[in-house]
Amino acid sequence: MANYFNTLPLREQLNQLSHAEFMDSSQFADGVNALKGKKIVIVGCGAQGLNQGLNLRDSGLDVSYTLRKEAIEQKRDSWKNATDNNFTVGSYEELIPQADVVINLTPDKQHTSVVNAVMPLMKQGATLSYSHGFNIVEEGMQIRKDITVIMVAPKCPGSEVRAEYLRGFGVPTLIAVHPENDPEGKGWPYAKAYCVGTGGHRAGVLKSSFVAEVKSDLMGEQTILCGLLQTGSILSFDKMVEKGIDAGYASKLVQYGVEVITEALKHGGVSGMLDRLSNPAKIKAYQVSEELKDIMRPLFQKHQDDIMSGEFSKTMMEDWANGDANLLKWRAETGETAFEKTPAGDVKIAEQEYFDNYLLMVAFVRAGVELAFETMVEAGIKPESAYYESLHETPLIANTIARKKLFEMNRVISDTAEYGCYLFDQACKPLLTDFMKKVDTDLVGKNFNEGKDGSVDNTQLVQVNEILRNHQVEVVGRTLRKAMTAMKTIKTV
Amino acid sequence: MTNPVVHIANLTLQYAGQSILSALDWRVQRGEHWVIGGKSGSGKSSLAKAILGQEKYTGNIQLSFDPNSTLPPLAHYVSSWYRFTNLEGDRNFYYQQRYNKHQGNDTLTVYADLMHFGQKRGLQMQDAEPILEALGFENCRNTQLIELSSGEHKKLQLVQALWLKPQLLIIDEPYTGLDKNSRAQLNAILTQIANQGTTLILITNDNNIPSIMNRFAEIIDGAVREVDSTADFTKDQVRVQKTLPYFLQQAPTVDADTMLELKDVIVRYGEKVVLNKVSWTVKKGEKWLLQGHNGSGKSTLLSLLNGDHPQAYASDIWLFGNKRGSGESIWEIKEKIGIISPELHWYFDTNATVWHAVASGFYDSIGWFLDVKYEEKKQLEQLLDFFDLLPDKNKLLHTLPLGKQRLALLARTIIKNPQLLILDEPCQGLDAAQTAHFNAVVDDLSAHGKTLIYVGHYETQLPNSLSHRLVLEKGEVILSESLLESIAYN
Repeated sequence: MANYFNTLPLREQLNQLSHAEFMDSSQFADGVNALKGKKIVIVGCGAQGLNQGLNLRDSGLDVSYTLRKEAIEQKRDSWKNATDNNFTVGSYEELIPQADVVINLTPDKQHTSVVNAVMPLMKQGATLSYSHGFNIVEEGMQIRKDITVIMVAPKCPGSEVRAEYLRGFGVPTLIAVHPENDPEGKGWPYAKAYCVGTGGHRAGVLKSSFVAEVKSDLMGEQTILCGLLQTGSILSFDKMVEKGIDAGYASKLVQYGVEVITEALKHGGVSGMLDRLSNPAKIKAYQVSEELKDIMRPLFQKHQDDIMSGEFSKTMMEDWANGDANLLKWRAETGETAFEKTPAGDVKIAEQEYFDNYLLMVAFVRAGVELAFETMVEAGIKPESAYYESLHETPLIANTIARKKLFEMNRVISDTAEYGCYLFDQACKPLLTDFMKKVDTDLVGKNFNEGKDGSVDNTQLVQVNEILRNHQVEVVGRTLRKAMTAMKTIKTV
Repeated sequence: MTNPVVHIANLTLQYAGQSILSALDWRVQRGEHWVIGGKSGSGKSSLAKAILGQEKYTGNIQLSFDPNSTLPPLAHYVSSWYRFTNLEGDRNFYYQQRYNKHQGNDTLTVYADLMHFGQKRGLQMQDAEPILEALGFENCRNTQLIELSSGEHKKLQLVQALWLKPQLLIIDEPYTGLDKNSRAQLNAILTQIANQGTTLILITNDNNIPSIMNRFAEIIDGAVREVDSTADFTKDQVRVQKTLPYFLQQAPTVDADTMLELKDVIVRYGEKVVLNKVSWTVKKGEKWLLQGHNGSGKSTLLSLLNGDHPQAYASDIWLFGNKRGSGESIWEIKEKIGIISPELHWYFDTNATVWHAVASGFYDSIGWFLDVKYEEKKQLEQLLDFFDLLPDKNKLLHTLPLGKQRLALLARTIIKNPQLLILDEPCQGLDAAQTAHFNAVVDDLSAHGKTLIYVGHYETQLPNSLSHRLVLEKGEVILSESLLESIAYN
């Protein structure tokens, strides 16, 4: 199988990359009608599979699950998830031939084997749905020409997809139709109906393409979302310990700080996050993040280039073939870092203290979000897509760090994201060596405002505010956040 | 002479710029057991939290413990409102979560939670066992926290408090959500620990308290005022009953004469049977009282009706004339039902304003909504006025006293004039005057063509209009009767 993106002529590559149309709830007036009475069979019953299926059924659709024979025979967790919630469960042979829509919600790595097993059993004119386009775009999977191929990708963990639905809302969702596989022209109505069934239409939907989804998703997860948060967390912890800050305090500040800080990001964007700082601290965070952007820009560009050329997926698939040797080695190394091994101390840290004493992370997050966004947009990805894959997801990943540190983050995210995260982390740390030498406890560990009188230069403050607020990620973010009517606070501390 | 257990001098406490307690003096002597009652919002909980150092105050509070006692020198406060977290500190739960089964448990079991608590506080697990049994809680050991009902959560808090054997124990609203048996069990245990040397302070307006309680007080104008007995507590003013807004006097459109029908419904989790062959028919216009002890299956039964329980798809259930699982969405079901329960309140997004919270009732969402139409806005104002909530409409829900929060959620429940009202302990957390007022509203609504399912523990605080009764015990229907002949419930 050849990399699909690389088979396209340049203008078609650019065309598919730049697919991004923001749809509001009025475009979903037809509800789930396009899928009403159709047999929907979901492959896989993990967090996405189960929770999407529960939502689709609660929206009046006919949902059942198919699992591999071993999973059924050994009554694995996926089998229990489906049967405990009173779904019909059957083997591929039993359920796929009757299916009008087959929804593939297995992990990326299994896509090729799953699709190869399922496709011959699918009836003429059926529909196959993905929630991530890696298999189609990077692995170049060819789907039978009579089959319609769509994508519905909720931009949240499965548990949130369910929680938001039952609260009467939904999570932002990307939908797409594969241009090579839309023989009957029913791709869009189906994708929209599926999206309504999961509640996504209540939170803002982006009409995207398989290509745009893959190239932006990979970029976001490797750089700002996982890679940068990992690098920033480890460097911050080590710096505090080096400077004599209590290790328990340092561990707690790092573990929970990123969640508290990005909660402000979620509600008010980058400028909202920096508005939580005093004026002098904001100017400092601005300056530090500008420096960070200059240092890290080439690395962000390298990641985007490797994603575009297919180099990244090629190397990762080689590691798949090698039994995940590198992935497992790097995972083990992350488990051994001092931050990971130091439990959070039993100290109370007030919400504002997480900002005042962790200015460095505010700077890291601003630099990372803006760099990822800028790099994606320069590469031909639309700002709306870039927003979802950078700023929007950062608080969600931060929440996993707050739960159980980096090990947990890497456990929850996909293997693809985890692999890219380690690549970034390994390259980023040496880049930041000189920068980190200059960092002292006023940026991380102690209150930046201590001993300062709070005065700033008017012109300078106005300039900084303007630069922050007029960045494109802020402009597009204001529109997109309006559609997410019901953002709920995620709180761990 | 020994020092008083609690010695408060010149205590002043403010909350959100308002003075709650001012220059308060109070002594609790050894051998005294106090009941603090009186109006809601008078500062009772603030006083308790100040004693435990959980609230900022000025003045002096001194606690003195008996060095010769076998009990640890410890003060403990059981709050009336409590949200559990899982071990990772997560509180991000939704109220239907307990019905969705997912491997990889979301929250700890009761037993694991107790183990964790015991380890933190240096307690022996075997000492918790008799308390679990005494409170009738031993069957919940392996239940996940998310699956507990509000009464069971209260019990868990009580188990922890009693296990600590503190010399001073303050319980805020000890009886909320507890059924008759559990209340009696609790009173017996409180008597026992008081005899062993624990000083008790109960914050409640309830009359049914342990006989060892020997001092009574309320808080008036920020100061403690002693009274002779619970009978002397100042009652909230009987509210002037307003006329039901015109839009709620209209009979709602009813989809079918048989509103709901369940045939031999079984719900089980693994080996545990929660509902066993429950059959029940509710006809248009009937007003049902649903009763049963904590854990008898009431909440599960109601979740089947409200489209919240996945096992409804495997059962023979007809709602509003349609078989469940015949292609309807849960939103089509919820649209016809106005529901409130302690759990709904528990998990409600209390960052919503009162206005937003009530408006969300039009859309069955939790705390927000799409655009509210002009006609709906008018109805909203009328209903807020009816519940005397207009002055609070722009306040965040969580800043109001619990009783008012509950009233706002009750307004949310009826705002769309639903054909079926499901009121699961709607008056939990309301004082006697608010309860009487709300039950009168229910009777008023009932007179205008609504069908009603009402869950209530206490026979004394029920609406008059109830016409039928269903009683559950251990997941089975043990009584289904018409009350029309009976006058016992008037």
